[in-house]
Amino acid sequence: MDIWNQLIQGFITAGTPVNLLWALAGCTIGTAIGVLPGIGPATAVAMLLPITLQVEPTGSMIFFAGIYYGAMYGGSTTSILLNTPGEAGSMVTAMEGNKMAKNGRAGAALATAAIGSFVAGTIGTVVVTLAAPVVAKYAVLLGPPEYFMLMMLAFVTVSAVLGKSTLRGMTALFVGLAIGLIGLDQISGQARYTGGVPELMDGIEVVLIAVGLFAVAEALYVMLYEGRVVGTQNKLSRVHMTREEWRRSWPAWLRATAIGLPFGTIPAGGSEIPTFLSYATEKKLSKHQHEFGTVGAIEGVAGPEAANNAAITATLIPLLTLGIPTSNTAAILLGAFQNYGIQPGPQLLDKNAPLVWALIASLYIGNVMLLVLNLPLVGIWVKLLKVPKAQLYAGILIFATVGVYGMRQSAFDLVLLYGIGLLGLVMRRFDFPAAPVVIGMILGPLAEAQMRNAMSIGEGKWTVFVQRPGSLSLLIVVIAVLVLPRLMKLWRRPKRLVA
Amino acid sequence: MKHLSQTLIGVGTLVLAVAMAVGATQISSDAGYGGVGPNFVPWVVAVALAACGGLLVWESLSGGYREMEEGAGDEPGYWPGFVWVSAGMLLNALLITTIGFILSCTLCFVLAVRGYKASEGAPNWSPLAFLKDALTGICIAAPVYWMFTKLLAINLPGLTGSGWL
Repeated sequence: MDIWNQLIQGFITAGTPVNLLWALAGCTIGTAIGVLPGIGPATAVAMLLPITLQVEPTGSMIFFAGIYYGAMYGGSTTSILLNTPGEAGSMVTAMEGNKMAKNGRAGAALATAAIGSFVAGTIGTVVVTLAAPVVAKYAVLLGPPEYFMLMMLAFVTVSAVLGKSTLRGMTALFVGLAIGLIGLDQISGQARYTGGVPELMDGIEVVLIAVGLFAVAEALYVMLYEGRVVGTQNKLSRVHMTREEWRRSWPAWLRATAIGLPFGTIPAGGSEIPTFLSYATEKKLSKHQHEFGTVGAIEGVAGPEAANNAAITATLIPLLTLGIPTSNTAAILLGAFQNYGIQPGPQLLDKNAPLVWALIASLYIGNVMLLVLNLPLVGIWVKLLKVPKAQLYAGILIFATVGVYGMRQSAFDLVLLYGIGLLGLVMRRFDFPAAPVVIGMILGPLAEAQMRNAMSIGEGKWTVFVQRPGSLSLLIVVIAVLVLPRLMKLWRRPKRLVA
Repeated sequence: MKHLSQTLIGVGTLVLAVAMAVGATQISSDAGYGGVGPNFVPWVVAVALAACGGLLVWESLSGGYREMEEGAGDEPGYWPGFVWVSAGMLLNALLITTIGFILSCTLCFVLAVRGYKASEGAPNWSPLAFLKDALTGICIAAPVYWMFTKLLAINLPGLTGSGWL
C-alpha cells in the first residue's frame, strides 16, 4: 500500500499546473526532436541542461524525461515517412514502416507505432513503479565492490559489445574516462589535469561533450559528406487501423514489451538489441511472412516500436535505483541530477521520494499526452520534415550555442565546442562510437570513487573484489561479456570453412 | 600509405596517452587506507590509451581498421562548406560577448546556411538571400534568447543590458 500512497502523492505533485506544463513542454519538444533528423534526445537534453541552474529539480526532471521518451514517439514518424534511415533505434521500424508507407499504409504504420509506444510505455511505467522500490531495497545491500563491478559491466557492454569494433569502442571509452578525470578528485580533493586553470576545477561540462560530439559533429558531417543526399518522403494516409490490423498489432506490442523491459534494466546500451530481437521474433511468428520486406508487415512496426519504448522506460530503473545509466540519454539525465547535487542510487527513493514519485507519475501522464500529440496531431509533425537541411542544421548550431554558453557563460567554451565537434567528426568518419565517451566521462569518476572505497574496505587489497560473492559473480559476468563473443567467433570459424 | 589518416588517429591516441601519463606523474600517489591513490586511475587510463593507440596504428598499417563499412572514410568531403560552418562557429565564439547573443548567432546561422546551400550544389549569393537567412536566424535566435533571459533568468550576453537585444 505504501507504493500506492506514494504514487498518489506523486500524481498530486506532477498534476500541478506548472509540472503539467513542464511535462507537456517536454513531450512536445521530445516529439519534435524525434521527428527532426540530426538531433536526438541525448543532445536535446544536454542543450537544455542550463535550465537546471534556475528551475527546481522536479519540474526539470519531468521536462527532461518527457523529452527522453517523447523522442521515441517522434522518431517513428520520421523512420516511417522518410526514406533515409535515422538512428539505430528506429532503423528496424524503418524497414517495415517504409515498405508500408510506400504501399499507401503510412497511416496504419504510424498508428500502430504510436499506440504500441503508448502500450509499452505504460506497461513499462507500471513495472518501474513496482520494481523501483524493490530494486532500491536490495541495492542498499550492495557495497562499493559490487557497485564498481556493475559500472565495469556498463563500461564493457557499451564499448565492447555494442559497436562493430571492440578496439574503437574501448578507445572511445578511455577518451571519455580521460575527460572525466579532469577536475577535483572526488576522494582526496586533489586537482588533476587542470593545468592550474581555475575553470577546469569543476571538470568539463557534460553539455560541452554531448553537444559537441552529437550535434556539432553531425552538422559538420552532413555538410562534408551528405550535401548531395536527397531525402524523399512518403505520402501520409489517414491514421487509422482496421480491425485486422489491431488484431495483428496487439500481440506484437505485448511480446515486444516483454522483450524490451529486461533489456532496458541491464547495462546493454539502450534500445538497439531489443528492437532487433523483437523484429526477428515477429518475423518468425508471423502468419504473413510474405509481407515482410515486400509490402511491409504491420507486426514489424508494432513490435520494434513497442520494444523501443519499453526499453527506454525501463532504463529509469537502474538510473534511479542504482545511479547507473544504461543509455546515452540516461547518462545525461544523471548529469542533470548531479547538477542539483542529487546522486541517484538506493537512497534516492528515501531522500528524494517526492521527486522520484512525481517523476514516475509524470510518465503515466506523459504517455497519454504523447498519444494525443502523435495520433490526431501527426499532421503537424509531418510538416517539420519539410524544414530544409540548411536551415535545420544552422538552427541546431544556434541551440548548441545556447546550451553550452548558458551553462558557464564562457565564450571560450564555444571554441572548445568547435574543437570537440571536430573530434566527433573524426570519430564519426572512422566509425568510433560516441556513446562510450559520454558514459565514460559521467560514470568514470563515480566508478573510481567506488573502486577506491572498495579498496579501503579491503584494507588496500584487490582481493576484496573476489572475496564477496556479489562482486565475484558480477566480475564473472564482465569477463564473460568480454570473452564469450570472441570464443563463439573462434568456435564458428572452422565450421564456416568446412561449409 | 593507404590508410594514412587512420594511422594518424592511432598516433593521436598515443600522444593523448603520453599527455595523460605526464599529467599522472604530477598527481600524488598518497593512497591513505585505499591502497591506490589519486594517480592510480590516471595511470590506468594512460596505459590503456597507449595500448589502444598502438593497436589502432597496427590495424591501420595491416590493411586498415577492422570491421569498417566498405568504402567508409574514402569519399571526398565538401571542404568549402566546412570552412563556412567553421567560420560561423568561431566568429560566434569571438563576437558573442561584444555584439550579443542574437546578432552573433544570426551571423553564425547565415554563414552556416551559405555552406549547406553550397554543399547541396545550390548556392545563392544574392543580397536578398542573405537578408532572408538573416531574418530566419533572428527569428530563431531572438525567441530562444528571450526565453532564457526573461523566462528562465539565465544570463546570456546582449548588445544592450536590457535582456531584449
